[in-house]
Amino acid sequence: MKRSFIISCVLVLMCCLLAACGANSNSGANTGNDAAGTGGSNAQKEVTIKLYQQKVEIAEQLKVLKAEYEKTHPGVKIEIESVLSSQYGTKLKAKLAANEMPDIFNNGGYSDMDVWADHLEDLTDQPWVSDAVDSAKAPMMKDGKLYGFPLSLEGSGLVYNKDMFAKAGITELPKTLSELEEASKKLKAQGYTPFVNDYASVWDLGITIFDSFMAKVPDTDKFIADLNSGAATFAGNDVFKGLPKYLDIAMKNGNPNPLTTDYNTSMTMFATGQGAMIPAGNWIQPLVDKINPNIQAGLMPMPVSDDADFNKNAVFTSPTVWVVNKNSPVKEQAKEFLNWLVTSDIGKQYVAKEFKLVPAFKSIKADPADVGSIGADLTKFSEEGNSLPMQASKMPEGLYTEIAQSMQKYVAGKSTPDQMLAEFQASWNKLKK
Amino acid sequence: MFGRSYPFKWFGIELLAFLLALVFLSPFYFVIVNSFKSFAELLTDTSGLPGVLHVENYVNAWKALNYPVAFKNTLIITIFSNLGLIIISSMAAYRLVRNKTRMNRFLFSMFMLAMVIPFQSIMIPMVKMFGWVNLMNTFTGVVIAYMGMGVSFTLFLYSSFILAIPKEIEESAVVDGCTPYGTFFRIIVPLLKPMTVTVLVLNSLWIWNDFLLPMLVLQKPGLQTIQTATSSLFGQYMTQWDLALAVLVMGMVPVMLLFFMAQRHVIQGIADGAVKG
Amino acid sequence: MGNNRASINMHPVLERSSKLERGSSVKRWITSQWMQQAFFVGPAILFYSIVIAIPFFFGIYYSMTSWDGVSGNAVWVGLNNFSTIFLKDPEFGQSFWFTTRFTLTAVILNNVIGFALAYLLSLPLKSRSAIRTIFFLPNVLGGLVLGFIWQFILVQGFPGIGKLTHLSFFTLPWLGTEATAYWALIIVSVWQGAGYLMVIYIAGLANVPKDLIEASVIDGAGKWQILKNIIIPLIMPTVTVCLFISISWTFKMFDLNYSLTSGGPYGSTESVAMNIYNEAFGNNRYGLGTAKALIFFVAVTFITLIQVKLTKSREVEM
Repeated sequence: MKRSFIISCVLVLMCCLLAACGANSNSGANTGNDAAGTGGSNAQKEVTIKLYQQKVEIAEQLKVLKAEYEKTHPGVKIEIESVLSSQYGTKLKAKLAANEMPDIFNNGGYSDMDVWADHLEDLTDQPWVSDAVDSAKAPMMKDGKLYGFPLSLEGSGLVYNKDMFAKAGITELPKTLSELEEASKKLKAQGYTPFVNDYASVWDLGITIFDSFMAKVPDTDKFIADLNSGAATFAGNDVFKGLPKYLDIAMKNGNPNPLTTDYNTSMTMFATGQGAMIPAGNWIQPLVDKINPNIQAGLMPMPVSDDADFNKNAVFTSPTVWVVNKNSPVKEQAKEFLNWLVTSDIGKQYVAKEFKLVPAFKSIKADPADVGSIGADLTKFSEEGNSLPMQASKMPEGLYTEIAQSMQKYVAGKSTPDQMLAEFQASWNKLKK
Repeated sequence: MFGRSYPFKWFGIELLAFLLALVFLSPFYFVIVNSFKSFAELLTDTSGLPGVLHVENYVNAWKALNYPVAFKNTLIITIFSNLGLIIISSMAAYRLVRNKTRMNRFLFSMFMLAMVIPFQSIMIPMVKMFGWVNLMNTFTGVVIAYMGMGVSFTLFLYSSFILAIPKEIEESAVVDGCTPYGTFFRIIVPLLKPMTVTVLVLNSLWIWNDFLLPMLVLQKPGLQTIQTATSSLFGQYMTQWDLALAVLVMGMVPVMLLFFMAQRHVIQGIADGAVKG
Repeated sequence: MGNNRASINMHPVLERSSKLERGSSVKRWITSQWMQQAFFVGPAILFYSIVIAIPFFFGIYYSMTSWDGVSGNAVWVGLNNFSTIFLKDPEFGQSFWFTTRFTLTAVILNNVIGFALAYLLSLPLKSRSAIRTIFFLPNVLGGLVLGFIWQFILVQGFPGIGKLTHLSFFTLPWLGTEATAYWALIIVSVWQGAGYLMVIYIAGLANVPKDLIEASVIDGAGKWQILKNIIIPLIMPTVTVCLFISISWTFKMFDLNYSLTSGGPYGSTESVAMNIYNEAFGNNRYGLGTAKALIFFVAVTFITLIQVKLTKSREVEM
């Protein structure tokens, strides 16, 4: 007994050491890049670019892209880690705390840019900058400098089922709240459920819906500044008077139990025809296609008032942004990689076709067949100039969760429109910097 | 049919217990049955048996999880954390219980206090320290973390068990010429066996199923555990319950097997130990 | 302690070895109380310090800064975070209140059901070991997976059963209203926790002397009286342990909360651990989050201390 005990003790220690060696073997990123700091043209020593990104939808395509890049760029290795957005931020902070920062990572822009400002490389001088769409650059601009690389554009509003709309005889997309109610009646007459409300998802309430209203406020930046200084309130703003009205229409014409319907359930419902409209954006295309490849979905602005003109340009776009770590020893190689992605033929091919995302560069044209019907609608709105930038990332961090909770309370009948707006205000005051 | 020691009225009690057990089992029924269904069938008929066994759910889940690698990683972590915990906790428990100085009483309450510290409040500083000493992305780091986090509960279990061991046994060992170390390793350690099995199973359940720690410390591809792989897959495939459920089943089967193998000892071990304090 | 050393020194082996002078001094050094303490408790303290104690003290430091978890320098704000929590953060109070209510209900139900199961399965039933295993089985699931599975059951399974049976219990919007989401969490927590406590209670019951019960049966005591007057007082040590374990675990609930309700609907089921996590990582206010964690730690320590004191005082010596 005792001998075996001692032996096992020794084994534990030995194996711990072995495990340590084994797991440490692939940490080449921070070693052997003396050449990197001096300009990066010297590729004699092997360097590794660590890319840590949160679009899990393109994880597979990135792996293929990585192989392509490594083939044409001897001496450069790319290490890709794709992580769900729900875990992304926490893991990034852990990486930072452990001094294992990646070389390229995601950033949400505006307030998120401010949080990570110490780590962001100035990309203003990069060759692709003039080619990038302005609205995609806006969230990453500070004092005239650009700190992010917009990989793609995303747009949100109401996603609708084109077949259902056609069968219900809706030829004109509803442009006002009254027309939205009218369309709902027509859909109901056909036996369809007009709305899929996934109000268990704080994301869809607090960002997709809330932002549709926030972005419509004339001179949003001033409104936000006034909210911070106390000069403006949600209750005193005309646009936000439409929010409870929209929620009322959606609730009256929606699925039962919206508060237990989460994002994933709602995707299934929309894709399988259990509802005609859902507040969402072009990012749902791959999910919906997986469940029902035959669905014809489109994107329309979410009406926020009864003024048709006011609701014309109401598809909201926000870019997916990659940033380069300022303190990375391989930042030059990282920049070169980003540049290659949007200037070389192979890179362009991936951005335009393989990722199935709407590109944020003027010279890269996406084929509707590749980006899907929702993405095609988004491109159309954006080309016609009928899009507005998303505001969510200008707001205090964490605000959307509290906003969503107040909205949940309202749709559950636990508060009045005035109380809801007052709660928005209280959350804002609590979380503002 | 029944012996005299089995009165007929107990048949009713037995039946009741059996029905209750069925209620407890029903969630497993849902998960396992639905993991064999096609997606459409799963949505339309959740409670019935599958019409056709869709084994391909498991084939896909196996591939998506990278099961052999995740399994190996989780196993290594679980084994070494367990060994470490058993060694350090049993030794400390022995000393703290048998040598109740003021210092040791204080240490004991320090260890117990750790059981109420929420992990969320120490994880960032811990990760920071791991970064300084190059323990990030190593199994050593994870094992050390588990040893630190688990030592309190394990010590708690051992100490009440040791308290129940009559002191006379050790005293006679000392008379026979054992040093305190010899007494511990030759006399006490064999006596601890039932508790050790319990500790082993309870800690394995915890470590095998833990998610936040490996998510933070093991961030490189190829180092994922079953839990981190499951959770990231679960997020991606959440709309595809068929695949997601197969993933879940594959995550829980190994612990279930361990538990079935050891269950007699576990219940016995807790019976012998946990409560004699 | 002094006695102990004396007895070792008197020991024949040691006396014999004292003839070899060098050997004896080494031996005395090795068997000194200090060495013993270092050998037996040292490793545990080492790991405890690295993983728990030092990070915890870091946490205390961060709780007095406005660090966001990212920027290079943490600005010292003294006790500001604490005043913010007490004066300007009603959500923290709400989550504390929710967690307290939840812990109270869950701990009582877990212990009552756990004890009832243990009592039932202490009877010499034919299938008792199999049934014990079944009740313990939910413990093979981790909190995260547990939440996912029950989410599936509550969102997909229950409505399915509801359609078949027309029982309104199954067609409730389980995660959609304040009350049902609360009870959903309780159900899941009991489903898992009761089996664990059952095992400990079985152990406690096994230690109740049989002759004592037989004697009281002869004295004409009824089943209920035996339970109340003999069994429960005798297993108070077990009750202490079970309450301690269940209180400290339920209070810290995170994984289940995170994966089952995520705090919804409208934040009504947000546990303190989740509130802390969201504050530190969602709102990027790490300093404030650790300050909350510190308050929480003090509160839980206080509550468990009271509980241990209360139940300990009711224990009887066997």
